[in-house]
Amino acid sequence: MHVLLVEDDAVLADGLTRTLQGHGMRIELATDGLQADAQLQRNPPQVAVLDIGLPGIDGFEVVRRLRARGDTTPVLLLTARDAIEDRVRGLELGADDYLVKPFATPELVARIRALARRNAPKTGVLVLGNLVFDSGARRARIGQQPLELSAREWAVLEYLLQQAGRVVSKQQIVDTIAPWGEDLTLNAVEVYVSRLRLKLDGAGLALRTIRGFGYLLEAAAPA
Amino acid sequence: MTSIRLRLLKWLVGPILVVNLGAAALTYLLAWTPAQLAFDEGLRSNAAALASRVRVGGIPALAKVGADDPAGESSWVALHDAQGRRLAGSPALAGAPRAGMRDARLDGEPVRVAVADVGDARGLRLSLARTTRTRQQVSAAIVRSLVLLELVFSLALVGLVWFSVGNGLAPLARLRARLDARGSSDLAPLDDAGMPRELVPVVDAFNGLLGRIELGARAQDEFRANVAHQLRTPLAGLRLQLEWLAARHAGDPESRHSVELMLQANERMIRQTNQLLSLERAEPNRFARARLVPLDLAELVADSVQAFVEQAAVRDIDLGFDLGKAVVQGDRFLLRDLVDNLVDNALRYTPRGGRVTVGCGALSEGGSVLRVEDNGPGIAPELRAQVFERFVRLDTGTHGSGLGLAIVRDIANLHGADLSLLDAAGGGAVFTVAFP
Repeated sequence: MHVLLVEDDAVLADGLTRTLQGHGMRIELATDGLQADAQLQRNPPQVAVLDIGLPGIDGFEVVRRLRARGDTTPVLLLTARDAIEDRVRGLELGADDYLVKPFATPELVARIRALARRNAPKTGVLVLGNLVFDSGARRARIGQQPLELSAREWAVLEYLLQQAGRVVSKQQIVDTIAPWGEDLTLNAVEVYVSRLRLKLDGAGLALRTIRGFGYLLEAAAPA
Repeated sequence: MTSIRLRLLKWLVGPILVVNLGAAALTYLLAWTPAQLAFDEGLRSNAAALASRVRVGGIPALAKVGADDPAGESSWVALHDAQGRRLAGSPALAGAPRAGMRDARLDGEPVRVAVADVGDARGLRLSLARTTRTRQQVSAAIVRSLVLLELVFSLALVGLVWFSVGNGLAPLARLRARLDARGSSDLAPLDDAGMPRELVPVVDAFNGLLGRIELGARAQDEFRANVAHQLRTPLAGLRLQLEWLAARHAGDPESRHSVELMLQANERMIRQTNQLLSLERAEPNRFARARLVPLDLAELVADSVQAFVEQAAVRDIDLGFDLGKAVVQGDRFLLRDLVDNLVDNALRYTPRGGRVTVGCGALSEGGSVLRVEDNGPGIAPELRAQVFERFVRLDTGTHGSGLGLAIVRDIANLHGADLSLLDAAGGGAVFTVAFP
C-alpha cells in the first residue's frame, strides 16, 4: 500500500515511517505543505496522512487544493489540537478522517487500512495470521486447509478482517452485513461469531469478545 | 484593623463634644452671674438697712441683730470707725477700708461680706457677712441640670452620627456584597452605574486591577494549552520510536524491560498532557452553554471503546459494557473527557484480573445516567469526598496525576449532573453521573 506521509516533526515522521513500513506499507515522506501538494499531483498515493500544522501551507490548504482538483485520494488528518472547530473544518474541506496526536498505533494503522479499502475495488486478498481471505474469489484458507463458510459467516468474517485490530460493535456488524433492514438480531451475530471461533481454530487469530459490546479480531500474540 | 465608621465617629463626636463642653461652661456662667448679682443685691440692701438703723438709733440698735436667717445661713455683723477700730459686733469680722462687696472666710466657711457707710459725721462703716450655702446650692443645681442635659444631648448625637455614618457607608456595603456574591473566577469589571462620586475612582481602580488579573489568567491559560499542544507531537514521535524499539528487542528481556518502562513513562506524560487540556476545557469561564447539543452517551462511550479495550488488555482487566440509549445535553469534548477519566480511573485502581463495567441508559424518572463499576477494593465512605479534590491520590503506589476525578467533578457540575460514589454490589466502587 502506497502512503504519502506529510509530517514536519522529524522524530514523529521517522517513527511513523518505520511503524507503517512494519505494517507492509510503502511510505513516501513530505515535510512541508508545498512539497506534499506537489507529490500528491506527481505520484498520487492510496492514502495521504497529513499533519495540519505544517510549514509553508498548512494541512487544511493541502486538502482544499487536492479536492479543488477533483482528486479523491483519501486523506487522514493528524493534529495536535483537538478543538472541535479544527475537526469540523478538516472534514468540511474534504478530509476523510481525523486523528488527534498522540494516537495509538493500532488505531492509526486500522484507519489507514479502512481508508485504503474504501477507495480500492473489492477484490483484495486479506491476510491475517495463517488465514488467507480472498474476497474477490470468495475463497478462504487456513494455511493450505480450505475454510468452508456460510454466506453470513463469510460476511461477518470479512467485516471483522477489514476492521482487524479494532473493536467492532455487534450493531456495526448487523448494520454492515444486513444493511437493508433484513431481520438479523444481535443474538444471531453471537451465534455466527461463536461458529467462526470454532472454524478459525488454528488460524493464529484471536477473536476476543468485548463483554456487552462486540468483538476484536487480531493476530494471536506469538506464544 | 481600622473602621471607617469608628474613625468618622471619633472625628465627628469628639470635636462636637468639646464644643458642647465649652458651650455648657458659657451657659453656666450666663446663668450663674445674674443669680450671684441678685444675692449680692439682697445682702447689700440688708447691710444698708442695718446701717440706717445705726444712724437713727445709735450703736445699741445693733444688739437686735441675730442669726435668725430663715434660709439656714449664718450671719455676722460688725461696726468699725474710720480708722478701722471695731466699735461693736462680731470680733471675727475685720474692718473694711470702704463700702462694697468682698469674699472672706469665717469659722472655716466661705462668706460674702457687704460693707455699707452709716453716713454720720464719724465715718462709721457697717459690715454684714453671710454664709454662701444657698448660693452653692443654686450653683450645684445649675451644674447638675447642665451635666444631665449634656449627657442626653451627647448620647443622641452619637446615635445620630452612628446612623448617618452607616447610611453614608451603605454604597460601600453594597459594593462589598456584590464582590462577595462573585464566583471565584468571575473577573468581569464592576458596573459603576449608581455608584457615589467618591467610590467611582475606587471602582475604576479595582476594575483596572481585575482587567490586569484577567489578562494574566488568560495568558496563563493560553500558555498552558499551548505547551500541552506543543508536547503532543514529540510525545507521539517518542511513543512510535519506543514501540518500534520494543518490537525490535522483543527477544532481549533486559532491553525489553527498559523500553517497557520508557513506554510507561511516555504514556504518563501523554495522559498528564491530555489532562491539562481537559482541565483547561472544563474551566467555567471557557464553558459555553451554547455549545451544548443533544448527545447519546452510548455513542460517546462507543467512540472511546478502542482505547479502553487496549488499556484494559494491558492491565488484564475484564472490561465490559452495558450501553443503552442515553441522550443528554452536553459538550462533546467535555463529556468524552468525563467518560475517559472515569473509565481510566476504574482501570487504574482495579487490581489485575479485575472486572470493570461501563453502563449508561435513560432513567425511568427522566434524565440519563452513566455508571462505571469495578470490583476493586472500593473507597471507604470517609474518603469519598476527598477523591474528587485535585491532586488527591488515595493509592500512592499507582501512577496518576490526581486530576482525573477532579476533572470529572468539574465537568459534571458544568452539565448540572449529579456525581456520586457508592459501594458496588460485590464490593468495589461504582461511580454514577446522573444527568438532568
